[in-house]
Amino acid sequence: MNTTTITDDDIAALADGQLPADRRALVEAAIAREPSLAARVADIRAQNSLLRDAFDPWLAEAVPPRLVEAAVPPRAVARSRWARAWPAYAVAATLVLGVATGWLGRGFVLELSGTPTTFARQAAYTHALYSADQRRPVEVWANEEAGLVRWLSRRLGYQAHVPNLNSIGFALVGGRLVAGNEKPTALVMYENAEKQRLTLQWRVSKGRGGETEFRYAHEDGVGVFYWIDDDCAYALSGPLDRTRLLQVAHVVYGQIMAAERAPVPGSAPAPSAPGAPATIVPGPAGSPTEPPKATISG
Amino acid sequence: MTDAPLPQPDLVAALPRLRRYARVLTGDSARADDLVQETLARGWEKRRLWQAGTDLRAWLFTIMHNVFVNQRAQSHRDAQTVSLDAATEAGGESWHVPVPPQQFVRVEVVEMIAHVGRLPADQRETLLLAAVEEMKYEEIAQVLSVPVGTVMSRLSRAREKLRRMADGEEAPSLKRVK
Repeated sequence: MNTTTITDDDIAALADGQLPADRRALVEAAIAREPSLAARVADIRAQNSLLRDAFDPWLAEAVPPRLVEAAVPPRAVARSRWARAWPAYAVAATLVLGVATGWLGRGFVLELSGTPTTFARQAAYTHALYSADQRRPVEVWANEEAGLVRWLSRRLGYQAHVPNLNSIGFALVGGRLVAGNEKPTALVMYENAEKQRLTLQWRVSKGRGGETEFRYAHEDGVGVFYWIDDDCAYALSGPLDRTRLLQVAHVVYGQIMAAERAPVPGSAPAPSAPGAPATIVPGPAGSPTEPPKATISG
Repeated sequence: MTDAPLPQPDLVAALPRLRRYARVLTGDSARADDLVQETLARGWEKRRLWQAGTDLRAWLFTIMHNVFVNQRAQSHRDAQTVSLDAATEAGGESWHVPVPPQQFVRVEVVEMIAHVGRLPADQRETLLLAAVEEMKYEEIAQVLSVPVGTVMSRLSRAREKLRRMADGEEAPSLKRVK
């Protein structure tokens, strides 16, 4: 290999951290000798960093419910409905995005002024209180998950769904009942390998209809994403940064929605056979009103 | 049990990245979400082709790229939409993506979003996958169905153009007319 020929591709690969090990030492030596090469690597790295600053904030935006739904069930019926109603949904998507963008701005304001809504603030405090507890963070441990689900369901008067977050590295620790303002609140806690703890809290809150939006608040180092669907208000709290916490929130939301739709207890994603009976109406306004029978998805 | 092998939580978790890729491709938020929806529908249709353990993100990006290219080819055949699409390809004209509120971001960031919008679509997507998604060049080549050499040359051209735009060598209003 010619040691003196450093190509444009070498420069790019080095800047992108993709230069094969066998070539790396060679290129680095050449760069050490030639400041103009070093400057090109630095330029590309600065550009990459600016690109990430520009495009990473998009990841924290609320995803329109119709897309979350499209990521959940393989459902032939739903698809044909979407196809027929396409222009209407295109308009709806624009509206949703407008609202979502507005909420993103609102999230900033909430975060800066430190005045999240009561529910989010309470969720953050409750999270801080119990997640710091080493010996008894929960009342019922994960090994009694079925009992936990029954207990929480009975006390809330609403079928509980405990999401399974193993695929994103968070294992269930357990759960407890906590006092809410007017109504009891269910709490389940998760922990990852780094001992970071997340809590998901929810309470029955009669829906206001309309779109589900993820909203963000930040309280004493605890980030909270909270949202309201037709039946419950949810808050996901934890020490993760906003982007990661939102990703977890999407997973939680998707699983709860899937569990509420699943007609059969226990089994994961809904029937995928093309002819599978599917009567649930997709779309912003239509969420099942029938009490779900399924317990845990995944 | 193996009837629906797509890992649903991962699919939901991939949504923000799918939307971002779609926005960079289409340059338009509403069209981007339609593209994401179509991509997810295709993903479910083709779910048997996905191999467990491989990168779901790359697999979905591949589908999205193909859907986008096919849609564009189709609309080129439709005389009524040619002008719109040509504008997208030249970049800039139909770049309606959100920019964070000014007070929260640096000027360079706002400018960068605008500059990326003036790149041709193929350079935009290559740049996104390499610099922002930090995918391996070989993976990008697979997603875009082009040789690795093409990935490298697009990347190089995109970076050079961005550099020139940042230096003011390429006037912001410059638009190549076909």
